[in-house]
Amino acid sequence: MTFQTPPAVEVRNLAKHYGDFVALKNVNVTIAAGEYFVLLGPSGGGKTTLLRTIGGFQKPTSGDVFLHGKSVGHLPPDKRPTTMVFQAYALFPHMNVTQNVGYGLKVAGLPKAQIADKVAHALDQVGLTKFAQRKPHELSGGQQQRVQLARAIVLDRDILLLDEPLAALDAQLRKDMCLELKHLQEKVGITFIHVTHNQEEAMTVADRIALIANGDLVEVGRARDIYRAPEKSFTASFVGENNVLKGKVSDANGVSVTVDVAGAKLQVAKRDLPVSTGQNVTLSIRSECVALETVNDSNAPTDGLSMLGAYDESVYLGLTTSHLVRLPDGTEMVSRIIADADDTLPVNGAPVRLRWKPTDIRLHVE
Amino acid sequence: MVSSPTNVTNGVRPVGSMQTPLHERLALWAFRAPLIFMVLFFAIPMAMTVVFSVFERTMFWMEPGFTLTAYENFFFSARLGNFLNSMKYSLISVAICFVIGFPISVFVRKSIPQVAQHRVVLLFILPFMVSEIIRVFALRPVLQRNGLMNTALTNMGIIDEPITALLYTHTSVVIGEVMSFLPFIIFSGFLAMEAVPKFIFEVCDDLGVGPWRRFKDVILPLAAPGIFAGSVFIFVNGLGVALLPNILGGAGAVNAGLIATQAISALDFPLAMAVSAIMMATLMTLLWIGHKLFDLTKILTPLS
Ligand SMILES: Nc1ncnc2c1ncn2[C@@H]1O[C@H](COP(=O)(O)OP(=O)(O)OP(=O)(O)O)[C@@H](O)[C@H]1O
Ligand SMILES: [Mg+2]
Repeated sequence: MTFQTPPAVEVRNLAKHYGDFVALKNVNVTIAAGEYFVLLGPSGGGKTTLLRTIGGFQKPTSGDVFLHGKSVGHLPPDKRPTTMVFQAYALFPHMNVTQNVGYGLKVAGLPKAQIADKVAHALDQVGLTKFAQRKPHELSGGQQQRVQLARAIVLDRDILLLDEPLAALDAQLRKDMCLELKHLQEKVGITFIHVTHNQEEAMTVADRIALIANGDLVEVGRARDIYRAPEKSFTASFVGENNVLKGKVSDANGVSVTVDVAGAKLQVAKRDLPVSTGQNVTLSIRSECVALETVNDSNAPTDGLSMLGAYDESVYLGLTTSHLVRLPDGTEMVSRIIADADDTLPVNGAPVRLRWKPTDIRLHVE
Repeated sequence: MVSSPTNVTNGVRPVGSMQTPLHERLALWAFRAPLIFMVLFFAIPMAMTVVFSVFERTMFWMEPGFTLTAYENFFFSARLGNFLNSMKYSLISVAICFVIGFPISVFVRKSIPQVAQHRVVLLFILPFMVSEIIRVFALRPVLQRNGLMNTALTNMGIIDEPITALLYTHTSVVIGEVMSFLPFIIFSGFLAMEAVPKFIFEVCDDLGVGPWRRFKDVILPLAAPGIFAGSVFIFVNGLGVALLPNILGGAGAVNAGLIATQAISALDFPLAMAVSAIMMATLMTLLWIGHKLFDLTKILTPLS
């Protein structure tokens, strides 16, 4: 007999309409137990809506949510195996840290001694033991979010929903808390579903990332794949710093496809995608994979892996420097290089060549 | 620019040798203004009330002296019982107003769209546009023996005989007080709910906090300062507003305000002063006891 544990979360054909407005259209996603899953996407994409529907805070217009294989459409939030960490510092202002964390257990009717044990353990896990007697207004933003985490994990529910838990924190603290979240998840071993529109945050914590935009689930994949090998051009434009080029297929016979972009013929792997000659497609190359070199002649390169353009300007970003190059058709391309901007730069308008490795350019058809 | 060091050390304005500028002196007085206001309009009148209450009564006014006749008149007559009763019934009014009014505030905050909330609250304040005398008088035909209430109850077959205890009793005074003061608790409750952030309700949903616990453990402590203010206001008015028992009350159904008013009509000014002094003393004692029991500063600032 083969026994398979059902996925922690399975969302089937989920849609949510607000009047005429479609916030989610037909979303399908499966999240395994013990996974750190991130919902990433631009503002207004529908991430919160999806998360809140999973948590039972709002009803879907159509579709189903299964948690551990059971349909939970009829259950209120507290009857689901989920618990939520809110974006704002959503603590009870009049209770101290211990009371805040223990309140859910008190409501559940656990004996006092057991509550005290569990609360102490949860506070220890989030590193707040010293602050047990403080009131929320005596804590920093990061500490308040940790109290929320403790309040959630103490309930022993096995799916934790986090709606932009770090959004209100400053950049440095956010980085630290990201790692802490990741470690906490590994320690407690439950499923985390984390909403953010910050891709660095997503990359840090995620086992898998789902990209959500305009109510659609655009793409799901491991963090590394989403970054390195995006399937959809939207993913490429949202994650990392990709150059997205539009072009027309001029030859689609063989393992590689030839695409006309701004007068140049570029080669790109076909990856068994359904393309035909004359089709409009999109190409993406991450800016850190584009090398920049000055040229003297202005003969168009014919290797299919480079383009000519006019040097525009450089933007010094500390670790890297972004060089902006304008293509003949006016499109701007970026070449990001780890180097100091002190190096002599091409003058504005000078002809330059952009080149990349064959594996770095990707074809998107949709 | 670097200024010369001697200039800095010797440049301090000599204290006292120059007049402080006018605007600084004005600013100082602005800080003192509330104090002056409190002294002029609270401390002095209160002290005068106490002083006058021990003056000798004359035919039309009073003259300086020291006598406790007024207090004797109060404590050794039916007035004391009436006064204590009016405290009891004021408390009942506060309780009824709270039970009816506060859920309305919570409902408005929780379930009415943000943009409409203030308009809805204004609706509850509209009755104040009608003169209080008219509003209170209008209760008489409702509550009297052949009034609306009795007729309706009889017609519905709930009672066989009209209830006569509805008017000119404590009941009618309480009904009048609830009608008059309910908007205050709704309004102060509405403001008090500002201290209860909306996310709290979602957190409660998530933790499975039932309605009663939610009210007792979360809403009440957070809204306590506003509710407390509204309740004190209603209690004080229940004790002090003579109009209500004057129109709706009857034998024994009076309050401190009416006792004092009656004393003034009888030209017994020291007695009126004594009643007022006793009322102030009672309120202060109640606040003090409340403070000892519940630590009012804590109720008034639940977040610290
Ligand atoms: N109660 C509502 N009534 C009408 N429209 C709503 C409501 N709630 C959300 N929306 C709309 O649904 C869309 C998705 O909202 P949602 O909050 O899920 O976005 P999000 O991806 O979480 O965005 P953000 O990153 O800004 O939080 C938005 O365009 C929003 O305006
Ligand atoms: Mg959101």
